[in-house]
Amino acid sequence: MKYPDISFEPFFTWVNRPRVMYAPGVRSEVGYEMDLLGGTKALIITDKGLVKAGVVDLICEAVKKSDLEVVGIFDEILQDARINLINQGADFYRKHRADCMIVVGGGSVMDTAKAVNILIGGGHEDFQPLADQAGLWEGAQPLPPHIAFPTTAGTGCEVTNAMVVLDEKAHAKLSVTHPYCNADIAMLDPELTVKLPPKITAFTGMDALTHAIEGITSKGAEPIGDALALHAIRLICKYLPLAVSEPENVDARGNMLISSTLAGMCFTNTLTGAVHAMAHSLGALYGIPHGLANSILLPHVMEFNLAEQPERFRMIADAMGLDVGKMDPLKAGRAAVKAVRELQAGIGLKETLKDFGVPQDREALMPLVELAASDGQISYNPRYAEEEDILNLYLKAR
Amino acid sequence: MEFWKDSQEAVTAVLKMHELLMEDAELVNSMKKVNQLIWYDYTESGPGCAVWVDCRGGNLAFGAGDPPDKPDLTMSLSADDAHRAWSDKLNPVMAITRKKIRVKGSATGLLKLAPKIKKVAVYYNKGLRDLGWEDKILK
Repeated sequence: MKYPDISFEPFFTWVNRPRVMYAPGVRSEVGYEMDLLGGTKALIITDKGLVKAGVVDLICEAVKKSDLEVVGIFDEILQDARINLINQGADFYRKHRADCMIVVGGGSVMDTAKAVNILIGGGHEDFQPLADQAGLWEGAQPLPPHIAFPTTAGTGCEVTNAMVVLDEKAHAKLSVTHPYCNADIAMLDPELTVKLPPKITAFTGMDALTHAIEGITSKGAEPIGDALALHAIRLICKYLPLAVSEPENVDARGNMLISSTLAGMCFTNTLTGAVHAMAHSLGALYGIPHGLANSILLPHVMEFNLAEQPERFRMIADAMGLDVGKMDPLKAGRAAVKAVRELQAGIGLKETLKDFGVPQDREALMPLVELAASDGQISYNPRYAEEEDILNLYLKAR
Repeated sequence: MEFWKDSQEAVTAVLKMHELLMEDAELVNSMKKVNQLIWYDYTESGPGCAVWVDCRGGNLAFGAGDPPDKPDLTMSLSADDAHRAWSDKLNPVMAITRKKIRVKGSATGLLKLAPKIKKVAVYYNKGLRDLGWEDKILK
């Protein structure tokens, strides 16, 4: 396809701090790299599932071959970064006299670890007031050494400078940003992801696709983000079905990890849109895993946004491998939506919001709608979404 | 300053917008839900260049200068960037990351209003027109 005339934010900045290292088995470099960062006593932050699956053992074995010492494993993390667990994690870090962290996990683990590091670096004990402040840029300083191993290919949290925290009291998800919260080094080791069950592989992969599609259509879209997101889409469409059907396929797993990181680098700069705003509410009120909520909402929100950014949706269709040469932008955009639905079906994602007890009654939906309408990401949706629009999108996704 | 003859002009424009906003029941209701004393501190553009909005306890009041109590939230920015922000021409996330907006206190309530900035900008521009400052409206 010939590159179209594309408008973008006339003034933008782009930043990405972490160094990314990729290789099957790259975990063998963790001791050397942590030494360069100045860490000597590492706390591993993870969850019980990854300990049980033996993934944490793989990291410990790699560490043993270096001078780095593992002083503790904090594996209490549950779905979503929770303030009480963040505070507990920081306490655990201090009690074990750690001076650096190795993070092994998906989005909830990586976001919890970011917040723990902010508490450690700033000498704080309670994350709640920091979460309430939302933007932690004033006076921010570099944090203690932090290496992350993502074990899902979806969130891109290893490179994003934000974390989403579940405020259980307020029944809301809060986005908090800090310039140094992401990992100093993101180590992409596909061998750590081969035991991920097909279902989680599928919806975390759709999370990455959502980041790429919302990143490229966001009101903050710009050319650097476009380049990253388009390649992420190419990789996801090729390798996600393979990663689901052949879990031990390290090549497919590796390309999915790369695509997730690319999409993360994009959306941490461009931000996202209505899918994320609405998925945050579904996570806060119905406990739907973020990637799955994104997946369910994505085609509906794409349809809603199509007419606003037709050329950008045409680029998405092209990156998905569709022959858009003779299609007008709207037709190409509709083809992209269809291709997303086919991808979902092909990887076994058939859920709708009805499966999670989301009601049909308009009044009962209002708490979800109000939460989504006040989520910061909604401002970046390419089409202005009124509460009525959000309500209708929830109903369509049901 | 790029947009203002003096800092008082900026304060006048923001106060006028809040005066007009009081006619919009939906926005008033949303602001009351914030339930905070907010101080928009533009003093880097001149002494006294600031506006407070008190949404506490189901009330809504506003005024110029220093707030009546210790604010729950202070947002510090220049009067020019305030003009861009109220005109919906400032990317708030980028502004925070570039430290053009500095936030002190709990911002979660006010951030819930951020998606309504497009509606707020309509009142801001109307206020500028009412004040005879149509030339200041950002396209």
